[in-house]
Amino acid sequence: MRQKISTGRKPKFLQVRVSVPRRQMLISAIGVWVVFFGIWILATSLHWVNPLLVPAPGDVLGATVRLFANGFGSDVLISMMRVLVSFTLACLVAIPLGVAMGAFPAVDAILAPFVSAWRYLPAPSFIPILLMWFGTGEAPKLALLFLGVIFFLITLIADHTKEIRKELIETALTLGAGRWATVFGVMLPAVAPNILTAMRQMLAVVWTYLVIAEIVASTTGIGAMMMRARRFLHTDEILSGIIVIGVMGLIFDKVFAILHRRLFPYLQEVR
Amino acid sequence: MSQHLLQINNVSKTFALSKGRSLTAVDDVSFAVEKGSICVLLGPSGSGKSTILRMIAGLEAQSSGTIALKGAQIDGPARERGMVFQAYTSFDWMSVGKNVEFGMKINGVPAKERRERAAHFIGLVGLSKFIDTYPSQLSGGMRQRVAIARTLANAPEVLLMDEPFGALDAETRWQMQELMIEVAEASGTTMIIVTHDIEEAIFLADKIVFLSSHPGRIKEEIIPEFKPAKRIRNKEELLECPGYIDIERKIMRMMREEGQH
Ligand SMILES: Nc1ncnc2c1ncn2[C@@H]1O[C@H](COP(=O)(O)OP(=O)(O)OP(=O)(O)O)[C@@H](O)[C@H]1O
Ligand SMILES: [Mg+2]
Repeated sequence: MRQKISTGRKPKFLQVRVSVPRRQMLISAIGVWVVFFGIWILATSLHWVNPLLVPAPGDVLGATVRLFANGFGSDVLISMMRVLVSFTLACLVAIPLGVAMGAFPAVDAILAPFVSAWRYLPAPSFIPILLMWFGTGEAPKLALLFLGVIFFLITLIADHTKEIRKELIETALTLGAGRWATVFGVMLPAVAPNILTAMRQMLAVVWTYLVIAEIVASTTGIGAMMMRARRFLHTDEILSGIIVIGVMGLIFDKVFAILHRRLFPYLQEVR
Repeated sequence: MSQHLLQINNVSKTFALSKGRSLTAVDDVSFAVEKGSICVLLGPSGSGKSTILRMIAGLEAQSSGTIALKGAQIDGPARERGMVFQAYTSFDWMSVGKNVEFGMKINGVPAKERRERAAHFIGLVGLSKFIDTYPSQLSGGMRQRVAIARTLANAPEVLLMDEPFGALDAETRWQMQELMIEVAEASGTTMIIVTHDIEEAIFLADKIVFLSSHPGRIKEEIIPEFKPAKRIRNKEELLECPGYIDIERKIMRMMREEGQH
């Protein structure tokens, strides 16, 4: 909502729920990063901090270029594959189960007590046993990422499915829909945008567990690179790793945003 | 005896509440609805109008009594008893056209016939220009038209509507009421409409079933006999009818008495 500023009234900087002009938005966004990097550059060039612990932004950039020249790309690719494979598996399990729980109270009665118990167990506590079960290959890492999100994903999807308005379902029933036509024809499409949003939120969590898995039990991937760098006191490389993970997260988030727009055009045209 | 389309006999509904308490929402209600007629359920809030309609729809089971359509006991929701709700029920992910086709699609009507019927009923409710539009871009009244077209296109024996125009502004309401008369004349669809708007009830009804509350019982069946055999198509004309005021006054008095309980 855009508000016209009436002449003679001096606009205050802090206004409750009055949206900000585009120009101000841009200046604010750039400004905060300029301040961040400004402090960083100042702190390193004026030697406020130990350069061994906090390298200058230029050094981090240099380290990033060096890393990629020396095969860091394959680490990034491995990390990405771990995220994608485990997350895809988690979605393939969570979507049918979550929707079934939301649609059929009988399924909910079975799964809800089970799922909600597991949800409160921190996934990293499984690392020792996963390592014993699966050895040191890809399996324990994928399993950790899978366990880290599956129960949240199921619960989120089940809750969203339960929130579908009763009238929508009853309309389908009085139009002659059986239970399967109701679930697949009405409930699934009605909840689909929320499922995608839940996936977007949970993908961020997968990245968190990825780093844990790679730091604790891996010789490959971004997290493992960072642990190696620590051994040689290469703080610039550690920071590179953090930045790469951040950028990857941003890219995935953007992909989901685009997907949302493409898959659900009817939600965009509301405005 | 002439066969009624819908026969409701001694129907009661008791809801179980928490702590072993229970609430009788509908108590020993009997009435019949003739084919092609418009029956209006009128009564104060809590008189069980929605509950009766939901039992007819098969969305709620009666505690006792029988509900029969064409002589057959109803058992759960089905295509023959289509329902329009007060809340918007458009399927937002489908165009208006696909919304209206939905019922026919799940009932196996071939695609070509489906499209033709959908176009016909969308035309009947005056939305031909919006057939490819998403419902979220329509106004409240237009969305309700979509819901009505969607139910009608599915060829129900009886159209059930629970305060379908309750959320609409006054002018849109009149338009929708007039539209319903038009639809009834054009399609011959039997309708049961719940409302607590007296004027709306008199305008639409061939028969008004007046319910009293706590528990919901039939107080009186009112036939607006002043109305001509051919249905009145606009509101102004209704207000000019001799006899209209008498019925309105009578129903208002009944409503007031109910309110005093
Ligand atoms: N599912 C339910 N569980 C318990 N009580 C219910 C349920 N549905 C309805 N009731 C009760 O039954 C009575 C009749 O409700 P109903 O909704 O049928 O009334 P109504 O005539 O449609 O009222 P309104 O005009 O406010 O819509 C009310 O006292 C209501 O609280
Ligand atoms: Mg009601």
